[in-house]
Amino acid sequence: MLEIKNLHARIENKDILKGVDLRLGAGEVHAIMGPNGSGKSTLSKLLAGHEDYTITEGSVSFLGEDLLELAPELRAAKGIFLGFQYPVEIPGVSNMVFLKAALNAQRKARGEKELDAGDFLAWVKHRVKQMQMNPAMLSRGVNEGFSGGEKKRNEILQMLVLEPKLMVLDETDSGLDIDALKVVADGINLMRSKERSVLLVTHYQRLLDYVKPDFVHVLAGGRIVKSGGPELALELEEKGYGWIQQAA
Amino acid sequence: MLDLATFRSAFEALPEPARSSARRKALDAFLAGGLPSTDLEEWKYTDLSPLAALPPAALLPEAEAAGEGIGFTDALDALNAAFAGGSTELRIAADTRRDEPIRPADRAHQRHRLHLERGAEATLILNTSGDGAFETVFADIRLDAGARLNLVRLNDAGADAHRLTRINMHLARDACANVVTVDLGGRLSRHDLNVDLAEPGAAIHLHGLYAPAGEGHVDNHTRIEHRAPHCTSREQYRGIARDKARGVFNGMIRVHKDAQKTDSEQRIANLILSPGAEINAKPELEIYADDVKCAHGATFGQLDDEALFYLRSRGLPESTARALLTWTFAHEVLQHIHQEDVRGRVTRRLLRQLPNSEQLEALQ
Ligand SMILES: Nc1ncnc2c1ncn2[C@@H]1O[C@H](COP(=O)(O)OP(=O)(O)O)[C@@H](O)[C@H]1O
Ligand SMILES: [Mg+2]
Repeated sequence: MLEIKNLHARIENKDILKGVDLRLGAGEVHAIMGPNGSGKSTLSKLLAGHEDYTITEGSVSFLGEDLLELAPELRAAKGIFLGFQYPVEIPGVSNMVFLKAALNAQRKARGEKELDAGDFLAWVKHRVKQMQMNPAMLSRGVNEGFSGGEKKRNEILQMLVLEPKLMVLDETDSGLDIDALKVVADGINLMRSKERSVLLVTHYQRLLDYVKPDFVHVLAGGRIVKSGGPELALELEEKGYGWIQQAA
Repeated sequence: MLDLATFRSAFEALPEPARSSARRKALDAFLAGGLPSTDLEEWKYTDLSPLAALPPAALLPEAEAAGEGIGFTDALDALNAAFAGGSTELRIAADTRRDEPIRPADRAHQRHRLHLERGAEATLILNTSGDGAFETVFADIRLDAGARLNLVRLNDAGADAHRLTRINMHLARDACANVVTVDLGGRLSRHDLNVDLAEPGAAIHLHGLYAPAGEGHVDNHTRIEHRAPHCTSREQYRGIARDKARGVFNGMIRVHKDAQKTDSEQRIANLILSPGAEINAKPELEIYADDVKCAHGATFGQLDDEALFYLRSRGLPESTARALLTWTFAHEVLQHIHQEDVRGRVTRRLLRQLPNSEQLEALQ
């Protein structure tokens, strides 16, 4: 599904990613952990097409296609979704209008028929219910005045509505209480299938208790310095990152 | 001096009864004073000479002399007095609330006196949205102690429209005014808003949006005089310019010597959507009291990159994402209009003149 090879990226003359290699097969869940500032958000945003980063070396292919050439909106239409670490507020544009515009823009780009108002409403309400959100939120501005937790929940709602193939979730679990974490995890699990993959950026084992990863990677100093199975996350929880960075 | 014959001709073309001596006196005062020149600091960016080039038939002075006793303060005020033919006076009795907004008839030249007595409440909607090539609306508004006024001023006239508006407000003790002013389009619009916070506890909340397009020129001048202690002013003005349009904002806030404990805030933000567009926005603060809270700030420029990326990452084409964020920028002001019909109308018009807004119809 996703193949990252020897990826180097910089911003404002500062090298952030220094040779990342990562392969995600269809249906797999990978977790990326690592200390603050190690480049996790950089990698996530880069996959979604953020234009501030300069790629100096390496390649990324998605479903066999060169991803790095594509504009963010085309990546979205091809099935990449980024759950933002810090979702943006768009006051004055309701969640409903936003979601409908986004879904139909993607469908149009894929040559699919756009949903009419009635079909869209039914679809979005179904998803709102699954996320245990108040349908009244649909007429509020996108993330406008939402708490940190509500914003994260809204990211997952958007994901459920858009049904992407690759879900990159950047610290979606941060700032959630235990009930909200459960809802978010259920949302992610709802989307898991043989055709979809998940890249979970997280600091905490507790999300991984609900969303079982197939692989766990440690990103430190701009490179993947260690990879393993779910047990690696437990080990990190116990010992921190120091021992890996020393070993690497 | 500029030849002002067109104004005289338009006036002389009126039927005899409309050419009252009071109106003629006002006209003469205007002709003597003339249009303000761009040599004046207040008019530096706004050249009114295109008004003198309009044909007499486009000027449309009112055919009926309304009201009596025309007093005026300067040449433009005299022009409005002469062309409106008198002022309409309205008084809201003490401690009454008028639920229905006051919507003066849509005449080309209007002159209003509105007086809210102690504790009265009302909403006034002033429009210069008509088809006329030249319209003037001048209003004098007095709020007695504890009175509350909502005022919406709207100019969404067509591309050839020339507009002059001036609103003077006087607020007594604990009076409060919420004002929203919107300029969308037009060829030339100058709006002056003068607010006197004359007694302690008076408060003004001011939200302005101006979005000139094409070859349009919009000039907003506001002046808030903090004359008494413990008054509050909140001012937010946003400009969006595209094509070859030009926007001007000048926001004077003067805190007089006795106006201790003044609480004042002014926020200016501008968006330039085309390389040929221009906005000159200038805050002007004069503070003569020492125990005051005055905040002000200005942001210029472009749409927020992170927000743009967020929208695009969800699949919205860049052009749609830009239109959406431009809308959001304007919405910060428009949300303060509480009349659904007015807000809907402004929204539709604004969306029509934003680039790439076809996909945003659902916002309406
Ligand atoms: N816009 C930027 N300009 C300059 N440096 C940046 C920018 N964004 C991120 N960085 C730097 O890149 C490094 C990696 O950041 P980030 O990817 O956010 O790390 P993480 O998500 O792992 O905490 C940090 O040192 C950060 O300061
Ligand atoms: Mg991060």
